[in-house]
This record gives sequence, C-alpha cells and structure tokens, in this order.
Amino acid sequence: MEVLEKIFNFALIAATLRTTAPILLVSLGGSFTTKAGIFNIGLEGQMLVGAFFGVLGSIWTGSALGGLLCGVLAAVVMAATFSLLVVTLRANEVVVGLALNILAGGLTISLTKAIFGTRGSIVSGDIVGLPPIDIPFIEDLGRFGRVLSGYTPLVYLAFVMVFVVWLVLYRTKLGLYIRVTGEKPEAAEALGIPTALMQHIASLLCGVLAGLAGAHLSLGYITMFAENMSSGRGFMAVAVLIFSNGDPLKVLLGCLLFGFSDAASLRLQTFGFPSYIVLMVPYLVTLGALFALTYRQRPKVIRETLESLSLLRRT
Amino acid sequence: MTTDSSATKSSVVPAADRKGPPGWAEGLIGQLLAIALSLVGGAVIILMVGENPLHVFATLLRGAFGSTDRIAGSLLQATPIIICGVAACIALRGGLFNIGVEGQLYLGGFAAAWVGFSFAMPPVIHVVVAVAAAILAGCLWILIPALFRAKFGTNEVVTTILANYIAVLLTSYLTISVFKRPGGWSETDPIAVTARLPQLLPDSRLNIGLFIGIGLAIGLHLFLRHTSAGYAMGAMGANPKFAEYGGVRTRRNVFLILLASGAVGGLAGGVETLGVHHRFMEGFAPGFGFDGVIAALLANGNPIGMIGTALFFGALRAGSLLMEVETNASREIITVIQAFIILCVSAQILIRRRSGRTGERRWKF
Repeated sequence: MEVLEKIFNFALIAATLRTTAPILLVSLGGSFTTKAGIFNIGLEGQMLVGAFFGVLGSIWTGSALGGLLCGVLAAVVMAATFSLLVVTLRANEVVVGLALNILAGGLTISLTKAIFGTRGSIVSGDIVGLPPIDIPFIEDLGRFGRVLSGYTPLVYLAFVMVFVVWLVLYRTKLGLYIRVTGEKPEAAEALGIPTALMQHIASLLCGVLAGLAGAHLSLGYITMFAENMSSGRGFMAVAVLIFSNGDPLKVLLGCLLFGFSDAASLRLQTFGFPSYIVLMVPYLVTLGALFALTYRQRPKVIRETLESLSLLRRT
Repeated sequence: MTTDSSATKSSVVPAADRKGPPGWAEGLIGQLLAIALSLVGGAVIILMVGENPLHVFATLLRGAFGSTDRIAGSLLQATPIIICGVAACIALRGGLFNIGVEGQLYLGGFAAAWVGFSFAMPPVIHVVVAVAAAILAGCLWILIPALFRAKFGTNEVVTTILANYIAVLLTSYLTISVFKRPGGWSETDPIAVTARLPQLLPDSRLNIGLFIGIGLAIGLHLFLRHTSAGYAMGAMGANPKFAEYGGVRTRRNVFLILLASGAVGGLAGGVETLGVHHRFMEGFAPGFGFDGVIAALLANGNPIGMIGTALFFGALRAGSLLMEVETNASREIITVIQAFIILCVSAQILIRRRSGRTGERRWKF
C-alpha cells in the first residue's frame, strides 16, 4: 500500500504528461495519414530522424528553435519520400515504411559516427534544449497548479494539437476531403476531390508532427541523441492509431494510457523492480490494449461523413 | 501466376500481353538496376561521411570475398539470414507479414541455449531436443499475434513488431538476472558439447545451419509448387477472397501459416546459438531477423530467389566488418544501402505496372 501511495502522486501525473507528449504528437500526425487511408508504419523512422537532426540543428544553430526546425524538416523529407513512393508510385506502404525505418536507423548511426566520431550516442554541452515554460498565474494555485506548469513548450503543444487536429479533420474542408479520401476513395474521386494530393498533404502534416515528436525526445527533458532512441514509440503510435481509428480524442486517451504506463514503470524501477521487466511494461500495455480493443472493431460506414458529403453537395 | 522465379510474379497482366523481355529477365534486370542505384545512393552517403566510396566498396568486397576464410565468414553471416528469410517467405506467400522474426529468433536462440546448458543428454538427442525447443519457442512467441490475426483480423505487422521489443528485453532479463555466467559479461553458461551443431570447416564457425537453411528454402519451394496445400497457401496470398470462394479455410490457414513462420524464426535463433556462439549472449544476433524479412521481400517471397538475396546480405555484413576496421565508415552504411535497394525495387516495379490494384497480394511491391 505504501508503495502504491508513493507511486501515485502529483509527480506521477506530471511524469505522465511528459511521457505522453512525444507519442501523442506522433500519433496525432498519424491521425492524418490514417484518416487519408494510409497505413503509416514509417512513423518510427520519421521520429528518429527528427530526434537526430533536432540535436544536429541545435548544435549548428545554437538554438533550440533551430534544432526543432531541422528535426521537422528531416522528418518531412522522410514523409515526402514515403508519400512519393506509396501514393504516386503505388508501392506497398508496409514495405516502404519498413525500408524508411531501416534507413533512418542506419543513417543516424552512420552520421553520428561521421560527425561526432562516436558510436551509439551524441552527448554534448553544445546541444541547446527546449526551455521549460512556467505559467505565471497557474503556478500560484499550489500543488495542483505546479502539475500544470513548468513543461517544455512541446508538451503544451502536444495537448493543444489534439484540438487543432480535431478541428482540422472535422471542421475544415481539407479535413473533410482527407476523411472522404480515406473512407470512400471512389466517392471522393467521383466528387472530383484530388485524392492523391490529399494523401500527400496528410503525409506531410504527419511528417511535421512526427518531427516535433522526435525533437521532443532529444531536446526536451534529455538533451542527447542515442541510437534508435525512438525505441518503438512510432510503432506504439501505429497501435494506438489502429484502435482509435485516428480520432484525435481517442488518440489522446490511448496515448495517456501509454504515457501513464511509461511513467509508472519508470517509478517502479526506483523501487527495485528489474529494469528489463519494467521497460517491457509500455509495450505490453500497448499490445494488451490493441488485442483487447481490436476484436470489437468492425469495418463501419462513418455515417457522419456521409452526412457531411450530402451537405457538401447541397451547398 | 506467370513465372515463379522473378519479382514480377502474379502480375495482373497476362504474360502474352506484355512486351519486352520475359518476366524473369525483366525482374532480374530490375533487381540489378535497383542494386546499382542503391550503390550510387550509398556512395553519396559515404561521401557525406567523408570517405572515398570506391575505397569503401573495395574494402567491402575484400572483406566479403578476399580469402577462403572471408568467404566462409560471408556464408556464416548469411546462414541466419537465409533461415529468417524462409520464415518471412512463409508468411509473405500466405499474404501475411511476420515482422517479428527478430523476436522469434531471440526467443528460439535462448530456448536452445537453455536446453544446451541446463541438461545433460546423449550427443545426437541433445541437439535435436535443443532445436525442438527453439522451434517451440518461436511458435509460442507468435501464438497470440497469430491467434488474434486469424480470429479478429488484428494487424499482425504491428503486433509482431511490438513483440520484438519485448523479446529482446525478456531474453536480456533472463540472461543477466537469471542465468548469467558467474564472472561473465551478459552471457549464459556455454552449452554442452553434445548440443553443438556440427561445423563444416576446421577453422570457421560455419556449421550445418547453412544447409538447414538452404534445405528449408528448397523444401518450401517444392511445397508451394507441388502440393495442394502449398497451392492453397499461394492462392490465399495472391487473393484471399478468391481462395475462400474456392474453399480454402482462410482463417485456420492464417493461423497455421503464422505459426509455421514463427517456428522457422525460432529455429534460426537455435541454429545461431547452437552452431555459432555456443551460449546465449545479450544482443547476440542484431538485425538478422530484419535482414531475413528484407531478403524475402526483395525476392518477392520466392524462397529460391531469397537464398540469393540472403547470400548477398551475408556478404555485405561480413564485408562491413572489415570496412569498419579499415575505413571511417560505420558498418551501418550497409543497412542504408539495403534500405535504398528496397526503396528502388518498390518504386521501379510499380513504374512498370500501375494498374489493377484489386485482388493483388497486399505485400506486393
């Protein structure tokens, strides 16, 4: 009981929000591709190059913002390659996604050795991390307030993006077009929606968010790059996307579950549980959730979309 | 289903309608072109890394084929890739992805080593039991993903990938916290001599695993070609709906195919621990499972073609060891080249064949 009390406290909530942020960002990116009808297994690689070039850009430019931009740019290049091959050349999305993940792993390790002469990781005092932001008024609300303040900007952004992505997908024409492209490609073509363009746009938006997620890994709370530091988060995001069907609010719930299991497992480690077992927890939770939720999922016509389609025709 | 030996297998366009060289030649030219393009891509990366590409490639070649020892080294590296490739081919030909070969390899490797160092048995029986343990471990590791894929359609790509991470952590835990050799560095006790796989050459760790792999690949090829079960499996992979219409019990077969794939993945790990390392070490076989999956994909699921790509990858791996010693390029350059090859192959095959997406295999390039 005492252990439980020590684990479940405000610090755990704060840790949960921190660990949720990267997977939430990358999953929200995946929302776009999922809604556009692309199975995007390449999230892992996009995140990894985001983390690597985030560090590189931070050292080159001497600013965290520069790092962020470099990371996002690199991830967008990956995303553009992905959609060029998958959408324009109609290559298999799983094959291309896997190849890009392998490419990301090999490229980051090779460049690490070439640029820094080290194997495995980049640790340097020149890496400028993202500064934590204190929100002045909330700070004064005592313990509860402190839980909501003092995170790096990307943590706030991740949670804000839930609503932004929701708005884009459900309240804009672009979002509607993307959803129709994914759900009813034939209908989309009949309506004259440029489906290929929609899929390209979705993939690029996904790249932006995956790049941010990666940069958060290497410039957020830890300012370093380690080989394969995305450690499967991109794949967990794919799992979340499968059972949430890319709906931003469900994505948020799935990611909070992951973030919580990650944060709780890190705390368990401090109580002497073997680290290897503890490190398994997030993967097990993700798999468990996927197994538990997918058996209920059936292919379904999204009534809402059809309604908005008829609305669209009327106007 | 026009030709069996090329990357253009099961093209929607009938052979007679196609102009130009026959399918297999077209496929081969495509593969070679992809490799050439990838080497150019690799050369660009090597330039970025600040090395001379020609020097690096020459070192790579020398490392792979420079002497009989080095050729044996290449074959040694190719062995687990061939067996993992068979595992991936089984799934691919059934229209499924088993990206979890890496995880099955780790579990199989550990199970075989465990039988090897925990029990004393007569010579031949010991090896057989250890290999059986590896196969069983591989099966068990894919059991739940296979069950959910067959019953509920849970995407096996993601579940098998996530299972990889758990497999690596689990075997590391068992090695370091439970079975660590006293004084050793994250490895178990060595296996008994009775559990070792016979070696082929006196001075090399090359073992009969190579022939096990080639035998399995040929066996799979014959199974797919000459048995009705193999035909049903191929039909399922080519077009599941049609196969079901024709009376193939798809769900049951999905389960069995994934299980068989996992079993071979486990075997690959067993061969690696029993034949090469003679113990289980943490991170004993980095990336062999993934290499196998790539080799199988590049051969479009054809087991015989896969042997070729796996041998190529084995040579790349062996060559990269020397390359890392003699140049500043890291050995991960070869994974970059491998990734380029897949991207080139996947892109250019589709430039040729853009139409007719319905009813095709879901994994085809």
